[in-house]
Amino acid sequence: MIQENMVLTNELGLHARPASALTKIALKYKSNVTLQGNGKTVDAKSIIMVMTMGVKGGCPLVVIADGPDELECMAAIQDLVENKFYEE
Amino acid sequence: MNQMFLMAIQTIKQSIDTNKDFLTNLDGAIGDADHGINMARGFEAVMGKLNAEPDIDLSAGLKKIGMALLSSVGGASGPLYGTAFMRAAIPAAGKTVVDAQLASEMLLAATEGIKERGKAVRGEKTMIDALEPAYEAMKKGIQDGKSLLECLESACSAAKEGVEYTKTIIAKKGRASYLGERSIGHQDPGATSSLLILEALTDFCRKNG
Amino acid sequence: MVGIVVISHSGKVAEGVKAMADQMADKSVRIIACGGIENGELGTDAIKIMEALIRADSGDGVVVLVDLGSAVLSTYTALELLDEKERRLIKIADAPLVEGAVCAAVQASAGFSVDEVAAAAESARSMLKL
Repeated sequence: MIQENMVLTNELGLHARPASALTKIALKYKSNVTLQGNGKTVDAKSIIMVMTMGVKGGCPLVVIADGPDELECMAAIQDLVENKFYEE
Repeated sequence: MNQMFLMAIQTIKQSIDTNKDFLTNLDGAIGDADHGINMARGFEAVMGKLNAEPDIDLSAGLKKIGMALLSSVGGASGPLYGTAFMRAAIPAAGKTVVDAQLASEMLLAATEGIKERGKAVRGEKTMIDALEPAYEAMKKGIQDGKSLLECLESACSAAKEGVEYTKTIIAKKGRASYLGERSIGHQDPGATSSLLILEALTDFCRKNG
Repeated sequence: MVGIVVISHSGKVAEGVKAMADQMADKSVRIIACGGIENGELGTDAIKIMEALIRADSGDGVVVLVDLGSAVLSTYTALELLDEKERRLIKIADAPLVEGAVCAAVQASAGFSVDEVAAAAESARSMLKL
């Protein structure tokens, strides 16, 4: 199990489109992926849960990946977040 | 035969057009206030398609009517009547003359189609409350050796009673069902249009032998 | 990828929902909007739906999102117009239209099956907005 404490640097934070991009990545890996933010803990593979987290831009997002491909999974999510979900 | 078929359907259309506002008002009490408008639009499209193919045979014609209704009615009556006419086409395959037996088979197929599609049974304040009694009356008429016209007339009486009955019950299907007890006292628009269709066909039969 | 058909009484609503779902989906997910009837009025058209179902299916099946009442009736009628093979992998999701379509788009993009995509759409029923 690995954990990374990230900060959302894109302006709108985890709204619909970035949420779906993140969930799509999580769904592609075998590992369980948990997100913590805005006082909530959610399963990253549930688009509904991720979309309604409400983590704003500039706010922290903790990502926990646990499974056989956790390293690749975390790297992919990190890439997405660091690049502002490729939105800006 | 084909000319007769077209004229019979034209009779239905005329009835629907004449009663368009009546049907819409019924639907306004317990539905979306568009049943008359939808049915009129549907039969407009039906005549358009039939007039483009005047040589069409009975079964293909019924199927064509069904498909036209599917695309142009818009509301729930589209898939319900569309399915009804398409199912009625099945017993009509290869037939050119409509006798009491064939008429009852078509009515049964149509009614069963609506029941299946709408997942409705009698007593839920739908078209079935007019059509099922109509079929039963027709079947009895055949057993009693009555003519096509006599069978149709008793079918209409039974359907009319069915429509009256719908005034007394709660709607269990469709938009009206959201009204619960408030739907009591209003006759069902679908059952009413079913009655109108049966009456138009009976009228046609009476005038054309 | 599982395809998605968005069915509404309104052509504009169907197009709008498709646009939102397209934003979330990978390009390989076919999303077809199907709304209104022949003359552009409000309503559902079983024949148009049948055509949309065929276009949406790239071999992995289709999940259908619907708005109200007669959209379901028209879809069942459309399914009856297809042959056995064509309707085999088609599932109507019992889900809210917009939210269901968006969830379905995401799940379909990740390569999930018809049942799983429909389930994802249906999970939108529990979505609280406030």
